[in-house]
Amino acid sequence: MAFLIRSIDFTASGREIVRERELAQDELIVGRAAESDIHLPDLAVEQQHVRVTRADDGRLKVEAIGSLGFTLDGRTQSDARIDPREGGELTLGSYRLAFAQEADGRVAVTVRRAEDRPPDKAQALGGFSLGGALPGKRVMAWAGLAIILLAFLVLPIWTHATRERVKPDYDRPGATLMDASWRTGPLSLKHHGLEDNCEACHAEPFVAVRDETCLTCHEDIADHATQSRQANARGPLSPGAAIQWQVAHAFNKPGPGACTDCHTEHEGAGRMQPAREQFCADCHGSLDTRLTDTALGNASDFGKAHPEFNAMLITAAGQKEPQRVSLSDKPRQWNGLRFPHDMHLDKRGGVARMAQRLGAANGYGDPLECNDCHRTTADGVRFLPVDMEQDCESCHSLVIDQVGGVFRKVRHGDAAQARAELLALGRASRPPLVQNRIRPGEYGASGIYRANFGGPATGTALLAGAMAREGLCGECHVPAGRPGSLDVMPVTQPSRYFMHGWFDHDAHKQEQCSSCHAANTSGSSADLLLPGIGQCRDCHQGESTRKAEVPSSCAMCHSYHPPGQPAAAPRRIARK
Amino acid sequence: MASAPESDLAFHEKRRDSDHESFLAHKRLRWLKLSSALCLVAILGYVFADVEPRPNGGTWYGYILGTLGAGLIVWLSLLGIRKRAMTPGRWSLKAWTSAHVYLGLSLIVVATLHTGFQLGWNVHTLAYVLMMLVILSGIYGVVVYATLPQALSDNRREMTKGQMVEALAAIDRQLDQAAQPLAREESDRVIAALKQDTFGYGLVVRLTGNYRDCRTAAALALFDRHGASDPAHERVAALLRKRQAQLDQIRRHMRLRALLEIWLYIHVPLTVALLAALTAHIVSVFYYW
Repeated sequence: MAFLIRSIDFTASGREIVRERELAQDELIVGRAAESDIHLPDLAVEQQHVRVTRADDGRLKVEAIGSLGFTLDGRTQSDARIDPREGGELTLGSYRLAFAQEADGRVAVTVRRAEDRPPDKAQALGGFSLGGALPGKRVMAWAGLAIILLAFLVLPIWTHATRERVKPDYDRPGATLMDASWRTGPLSLKHHGLEDNCEACHAEPFVAVRDETCLTCHEDIADHATQSRQANARGPLSPGAAIQWQVAHAFNKPGPGACTDCHTEHEGAGRMQPAREQFCADCHGSLDTRLTDTALGNASDFGKAHPEFNAMLITAAGQKEPQRVSLSDKPRQWNGLRFPHDMHLDKRGGVARMAQRLGAANGYGDPLECNDCHRTTADGVRFLPVDMEQDCESCHSLVIDQVGGVFRKVRHGDAAQARAELLALGRASRPPLVQNRIRPGEYGASGIYRANFGGPATGTALLAGAMAREGLCGECHVPAGRPGSLDVMPVTQPSRYFMHGWFDHDAHKQEQCSSCHAANTSGSSADLLLPGIGQCRDCHQGESTRKAEVPSSCAMCHSYHPPGQPAAAPRRIARK
Repeated sequence: MASAPESDLAFHEKRRDSDHESFLAHKRLRWLKLSSALCLVAILGYVFADVEPRPNGGTWYGYILGTLGAGLIVWLSLLGIRKRAMTPGRWSLKAWTSAHVYLGLSLIVVATLHTGFQLGWNVHTLAYVLMMLVILSGIYGVVVYATLPQALSDNRREMTKGQMVEALAAIDRQLDQAAQPLAREESDRVIAALKQDTFGYGLVVRLTGNYRDCRTAAALALFDRHGASDPAHERVAALLRKRQAQLDQIRRHMRLRALLEIWLYIHVPLTVALLAALTAHIVSVFYYW
């Protein structure tokens, strides 16, 4: 076996000198020692560093003679094989020995001193990490920081600070840019138009929304009560609430009693959430201890602590103004009518029979129902006053005469006119008692001695009995006094009994009328058919209840701001 | 050492133990326990706090959670400064890192409760989303730091990165020599393979390991197609296979490194972006107070 040793050196001018020599031996010693087969003058190489022999399988066996290893194809080893057909590169110190098989079967070893360490090695090592493939973390961080601060802070603040101050317009967007990105949630239904006009409410930077700002649009809103009375009515703060208010004031929040205390915005689209029961109960729960002159009962929870309802009533004939009466006193009302509900709602009596006889064509057909006489308002909230002509007259006829096919009737609601019509009834000509017989001369129809020999004067008779208990008027009306007059006591039909609470019949239409109004058993129009608080509590309990069908906060029935009033506190509700 | 006093032994034992204790298990999970307690308190507070009209960042409890969360975020981001000074002992960097991980996780609970689950297209939710991305990338980082170094070490097969590069260079030098007898087309393929930048690949290629334009593979395909007819071709093909194997090792190393490092390219810049969004969030709330 032979090795072809090819040494490559460089002259001072850089020219390559190639020397070749052949070693016909089976073993090759590489080292610093001068007698080595391949002599490498490098201190990093041992005297006898590597032995190369041919292994049985035809490959070259490379083994370290000393304790120092060698580098074969970049890998540090102490014992390795080289397939001469594929070749291999042995690195020892600064020398590289390339092994390769020549065409004639000899193994050529090309010895070459490596140039200095390649300068880009550190750079190449850096290539392993992601640093080369991505923009630097610092660059990305600064870019993100700048974009976010500019878009979400500088731009809105700049445009807000330099905007032109105009009166807020519900339908026009505001001048501040990018402040939509500050919105914490959609506005409520009524404020929806201000969605793009943040500065309408957020007028001053770092100043919480003030009542004055709200009042620029809500000019007519009335206050709950005069400020001094509200201040007196407010109970002492709980320690937690006191701390909260201290913090809130430290951060320049208005209140207590500011609009924004109750009207919190950006809580989502739809109706604004009503104030919580506790907000009312803070004052009204123990109001009498602080506002000693109040006529209002304490209320803190509809189910547990709420006074009986007060209805606005006329309780006696001649009373001019209605007065508030507690339902707990079982008051009677006086409305100027005689009307027994039980008789009219009786399923078997004469009234029922009459309704059946009038038939479906007239809107009846069965025993009377409530809505045969009581009609709701257009919004369904309340009931229209019962109207004589429309609701009563189908049965309670005021017809007094028939002329040809036409019925004449007394005009309702005008006593003098009715009286005149009744009196005139006696004067009209009536058909003669016998046909074809004419009284002669001045006794004839046009003579001065004419006498009316018809039936009795019905008008006069009606007039005389009109105000009796069964009479034309007196059946329903209470006579006003003077004998012979048709004057009746004024009739009152209140459209609303509860002036400070809200009740919506429409919201209760799945209920029967009789669930709340005991009309079936009422024999007198003096019966007040209003349900008491106990009946309401069958379904309605306080806000926090879990048992009742309808948990009800104060705001379900009560409004904080007095309705329909200009900006003024309501009159003081003083003790009776 | 046999003569060393027992206390000294104990001290060194303890020191060694602490040196080899993971930052995750630091002080028997002290910070895990602390941050779990923090989460529990925050959740209980959320359930029982009486706030109107409904829980969100604008209630008194929301402000408390928000202040806590903002403080945590600022403190957590200070690890970037703190880590540049390694100190032992009570406030060691390991303790700090352990607290960083577990308190960072507790921020998921604190900040989510602060939002009151009201999210939208605004700077407030931007801050929340950035924070969640930072935390998620952090979780990823902890997981890969626990799992990938073993794979990285296995892939090295006792070679340093420098040796991998050097090995490739050695193969390349031999290829250059071995390819001398080849015809034009084949030589061109070899030159193309040798000239291709080993590290000139982007993020996606590094992560997927899908080197479709690898010219070494292309050259090898050519030689395989033609078949090894003579020793010169055979040798070049063998060297190309070696080169391919060496490239595979380098690329696996690059892939593992990429997997190991990618989260920091999210974690760090997004943290800074989060600090900006957090500033915008807080300032905007008080500006439109």
